Amino acid sequence: MVDWTVKIGGAAGQGVQTVAEVLSLLLKRSGYYVFSLEDYQSRIRGGHTFTQIRLKDEPVWAARSALDLLVCLDQLTYELHRDEVKKGGLILGSFEAKAETGDRQLIRLDFEKEALQLGNRVFANMVAVGAISQILGLEPGIVEAHIEKVFAKKGVEVVEKNRAALRRGKEAVGIAPVLRSENPSRRDSGPQFLLDGNQALGLGALLAGCTFYSAYPMTPSTGIMNFLASRMKEYGVLVEQAEDEIAAINMAIGAAYAGARAMTGTSGGGFCLMVEGLGLAAMTEVPVVVVNGQRPGPSTGLPTRTSQADLHFVIHAGHDEFPRFVFAPRDPQDAINVVRRAFYLAEKYQVPAIILSDQYLADSKVSYRDIGIEKIPDDSTGVNVNADYGRYALTPSGVSPRAIPGKEALVVVDSDEHDECGHLTEDLTIRVKMHEKRMRKWEAMQREIRMPVFLEGKEATLVGWGSTWGILQEVRRELLQEGIEVGLVHFNELWPLPLGLREFLRSLPRPIVVENNYWGQLATLLEGEARVELATRITRYDGRPFLVDELCLRVKEVLQGA
Amino acid sequence: MHNPFESDLEIAWCPGCGNFGILKALKEALFELGYKPQRVVLVSGIGQAAKLPHYLRVNVFNGLHGRSIPAAFAIKAANPELLVIAESGDGCMYGEGGNHLLHAIRRNPDITVIVHDNQVYGLTKGQASPTSEEGFVSKVQTLGALSSPFHPLSVAIAQDASFVARGFSGDIEGLKEILKKALSWKGFALVDVLQPCVTFNRVNTFGWYKERVYYLGEDHDPGNQIRAFEKSLEWGQKIPLGIFYMHPKPTYQEKFYAQVSQPHLLYRGPLPEEAVTRELQLLV
Repeated sequence: MVDWTVKIGGAAGQGVQTVAEVLSLLLKRSGYYVFSLEDYQSRIRGGHTFTQIRLKDEPVWAARSALDLLVCLDQLTYELHRDEVKKGGLILGSFEAKAETGDRQLIRLDFEKEALQLGNRVFANMVAVGAISQILGLEPGIVEAHIEKVFAKKGVEVVEKNRAALRRGKEAVGIAPVLRSENPSRRDSGPQFLLDGNQALGLGALLAGCTFYSAYPMTPSTGIMNFLASRMKEYGVLVEQAEDEIAAINMAIGAAYAGARAMTGTSGGGFCLMVEGLGLAAMTEVPVVVVNGQRPGPSTGLPTRTSQADLHFVIHAGHDEFPRFVFAPRDPQDAINVVRRAFYLAEKYQVPAIILSDQYLADSKVSYRDIGIEKIPDDSTGVNVNADYGRYALTPSGVSPRAIPGKEALVVVDSDEHDECGHLTEDLTIRVKMHEKRMRKWEAMQREIRMPVFLEGKEATLVGWGSTWGILQEVRRELLQEGIEVGLVHFNELWPLPLGLREFLRSLPRPIVVENNYWGQLATLLEGEARVELATRITRYDGRPFLVDELCLRVKEVLQGA
Repeated sequence: MHNPFESDLEIAWCPGCGNFGILKALKEALFELGYKPQRVVLVSGIGQAAKLPHYLRVNVFNGLHGRSIPAAFAIKAANPELLVIAESGDGCMYGEGGNHLLHAIRRNPDITVIVHDNQVYGLTKGQASPTSEEGFVSKVQTLGALSSPFHPLSVAIAQDASFVARGFSGDIEGLKEILKKALSWKGFALVDVLQPCVTFNRVNTFGWYKERVYYLGEDHDPGNQIRAFEKSLEWGQKIPLGIFYMHPKPTYQEKFYAQVSQPHLLYRGPLPEEAVTRELQLLV
């Protein structure tokens, strides 16, 4: 079985992401499953950035810390990461070696110098890809076909030059492939699809029939806007770059009021600005979907790193009380379906739905054999009603018939407290009725929420939410292989909390809550709402995701400490 | 003939408020232009002026303080068939929402923005507004307003807004004619309406305005940006009213819909099966 980890590092602007992207696609084409994560700084050039790709001949859902191959586009990469390379591992690239112990193979190859000999330093990335594919034993045919496809539009000459760069990289490595070369059976059962969280969130929205997306660019959610913007023409989707996040959410609400399926996306800081708008959506009962791609804070925090620390915030954001949905997709495939479900439920209950993504989910690429598109009912927007229509008719469910302007009825909505027709009122009897009407939705909303995924284990149970799914799954599998029977409970629907949690959580052996925040926000939420004790928590808040091997050790420490 | 925009909702303005003139002029303008109430959406923010949409029979989006313009932009973008009007006071449009105004001018959506400009905050009881004169004394501006006023028309003209006008709520007929032109204009139209606050503004009263306002004559060329800008600076003993600037140009909607095959953004159902397959294929 192949289970390799390759890290490609360099300065921002040097082409780390380009090399990693081409390599991920080549690996997928060669029948390997890949999981890649990106670590970058908030700058355009310089500094240090890396992409870590794990490849396996079976599905892979998370990263490990130890490297089989370190590819250095600069000296700093070598200095920062050489100690992560396993014994017997390889270090490739342009670097000056320092006091090596000799248990790692050093292949010094200056990609840029090789490229210059081909006439232009732009080919350095392709020289690197060629060198890496030689080491990984990737079939040359696949590699060259890919290059041809990528550069075909730019003409024969460009294709030829890139091909030459690939060959040069391959030859210059000067060693035989370390991994087995092409294995046809692997390709038969290999992955088909490769996508990251942002692509998936955008795709989910597109499939759901979203036609309006307004946002202010903010890492790590900008990729959603990029995806939808690339589909504007084809599908008639409007993507508007707003002047700020306040405008973004007010635009989305305006578009939804008019009858579009509308979404906005941001990160925690931008979400702070959107909070008044969230209340507007709740008060006017206009369905809107908001993605918060979490990153560490407070304030600007670490703009390009990951975090799961906005859970309490988004659940409670806004003054007074109002019902809302909060979801947290587990991985890109899940994100496609979660967004579609968020649109459906937001519309069904005429409430805001929030999706908690994070930098780890947003930027990590995952490969799949199949992508399952869940069947979701289609409740179309805009009932046609007669002229004496009241937008906020009091109903037993709290959900009133929703018309859109431009048809028979006049549609009146107000951020002030309002009567059944939507006109502002200070009649406190009506206020009570309206507040109860809005809050009444909660009961049915709770019943919509699905229980977390549950995998049994006798000794202990890992509990997590959102983007940690892949990591916890792999940690559980690894511990099982060591004979430690650990279960897993994982949430992707967080608010309302599913019904019947108390009994369920109490039945779990030794819950250990794993989260990318300081408090253990899910743990405290569950303690408060489900009245259970969840004292054992493993947290990480340095801006980086959990890695499988490191987390295995921490879980074992917890278990041994008992 | 009965005006279908007439509503019998109780009005929460002070007796004699300048807002009444704007309400009357708007109702009549919409009626005379032959619009059906169902096709009209009035979008407002918060404040006394922002209550106006409730006093007409139209579709209403009474949103957040300062945020009517982004909502109005999106409503028009989603359904270009609608006549979309954003209206609110000077605090809402020029203070809390000033940034949105600037960017809406850049987008040039086909919407009309009507600003009730009374140079004072009414609903919060008498503080200076962005358009208050320097030295304006209030319970907050006890030393007199230390900031100089915002000049909405000059800013809009400098930004090449498509249509820029000023009306006076004390002349309902004149205001109605301006509104009719603004509502019929294709592109972003700003109408700043001088509107005395009878309760809190003891300086800029009906009388004060009546002594000063005059309409721009035939000699004013609204196609000339420099001249329009010059005129917009005139304030004090004489205050010009009328259409300062007109620059016909493609609207946001025109530019967007010219490039996509759909006529609107209204929900058209989930993506059809073949599109889903095609999209997934792109991830292969």
